[in-house]
Amino acid sequence: MIVDCHTHWGMVWEDRDQGDPSNWLKVLDQYGVDKAFLLGHYNLHRCDLAAEDNTRLADITRQAKDRFIPFGSVWPQMGKDAVSEARRCLEDLGMKGLKFHPWLQGFSTGDAVLGEICGIAGELNAPILFHDGTPCYSLPEQVAGLARRFPGTRFVLGHAGLLWSWRSALEALRVPNVWACLCGPHQRAIEILAREASSERLLWGTDFGFGFSDPIDYRLNLFLSAAIDEALKKRILGENPFRLFDF
Amino acid sequence: MTIDGYCTIGVDREYDLTVDALLEQMDEAQVERAMIAPVDRCLAVSNETGNDLMLHAAGEHPDRLIPTCTANPWYGVGAVAEAERAIGEGARMLVLHPFVQGFMTNDELVWPLLETAAETHTPVYIHTGMPGNATPWQVVDLAERFSGLDLIIGHCGATDFWNDMVEAAKFSDQVYFESSLARPFSFSRYVEQVGSRKGMMGSYAPINGLVFEWDQMRKVLSEDIVAAVCGENLRRLLEKRGDL
Repeated sequence: MIVDCHTHWGMVWEDRDQGDPSNWLKVLDQYGVDKAFLLGHYNLHRCDLAAEDNTRLADITRQAKDRFIPFGSVWPQMGKDAVSEARRCLEDLGMKGLKFHPWLQGFSTGDAVLGEICGIAGELNAPILFHDGTPCYSLPEQVAGLARRFPGTRFVLGHAGLLWSWRSALEALRVPNVWACLCGPHQRAIEILAREASSERLLWGTDFGFGFSDPIDYRLNLFLSAAIDEALKKRILGENPFRLFDF
Repeated sequence: MTIDGYCTIGVDREYDLTVDALLEQMDEAQVERAMIAPVDRCLAVSNETGNDLMLHAAGEHPDRLIPTCTANPWYGVGAVAEAERAIGEGARMLVLHPFVQGFMTNDELVWPLLETAAETHTPVYIHTGMPGNATPWQVVDLAERFSGLDLIIGHCGATDFWNDMVEAAKFSDQVYFESSLARPFSFSRYVEQVGSRKGMMGSYAPINGLVFEWDQMRKVLSEDIVAAVCGENLRRLLEKRGDL
């Protein structure tokens, strides 16, 4: 079982394939990837299109329920509307979690509305996946700060600190409700994270779908060729992703 | 000639690459030469120790390893003296790591070192991608101040400054870009956008697996540009000081 815990229904894919995931799924099939956390792109890029994109992600999921684990997004700047949209995602659309990209969406992790949404996600057992590794709003320590403030909510570092903040991600992982997706750090960092972090809270992902380029070949083989115990690789690829939702 | 544009020799923290292991991996990946640079600690503080290790390793394997050198600009006149010494003893590239060495890429602090590099026709490799102090347009600032100096944007500004890198490298004739950490599937797109005579393959072994990175790069580069990206572009810069 391989679960890619970081994919997007990208804007270029939507513009070309209009909500039809068949071509997108063929790429996953090529590498034996069974399931994917499905994140949006329009909902991270366009405040005015966020709700529409959330609905689209739910529609896409219905077309292949056994392949997708959908995450919605909202813009905290929208205040009460953001809170109600977050509830719609989790309670009406059947989404399993929320995704935020504070750097792209332009808000601080200290935003009060974001805080309210983090609390709701915790009540509804929905993890929140963050873009991380980028100043000034998306650093691992900032996400860990949220995790400390909302201990009943699970937070995923979507990039495990990327290339330059992976040591901060390693520190963030000391907080028990912080998880990390190995999608972005170089191979040596991945090996150190697998060795030193709490291995049951590590996930793997590719960022596939943001554009048409194919990062799966590289990122899957990067992970498979890393000096990590084979049993642990198996857990990261196929078991931990389900445990994220096991409250 | 195939040249790996950046490998780190030495054992410290996340680094563990010995000379013998590097040569073995180069053989497996069919890479003829490799630029060798010291571990972060030697970039930050123990410059002379690191430079001597590179010069010694390359001296033992002159047909395979090409030494770089470094000097932390905070050492002032001492840094210039050390760079002059190492270049005089055979180092072919100056490596700067603003994040590890603690300065902003376009800070006047680094200018004296760049004067040395320019005078000796030594290309300068700059680790980029760290927000605030190591970004592609800061490299362009340096290019404007030191005409004729070749500057290499290490890592293509990865992760968050790749789009700046494309425009910066297109803007300045003196600015080149190296692939490590930028990932082959993205790097091949940058080469298309900027032009094949400026891109350079580097593995950043052992942070990345040398053989794996070369395999992946060869998968994505078209036949007509492999030779340029995988060695000839860098060779052209290095040989401004004479044949390798």
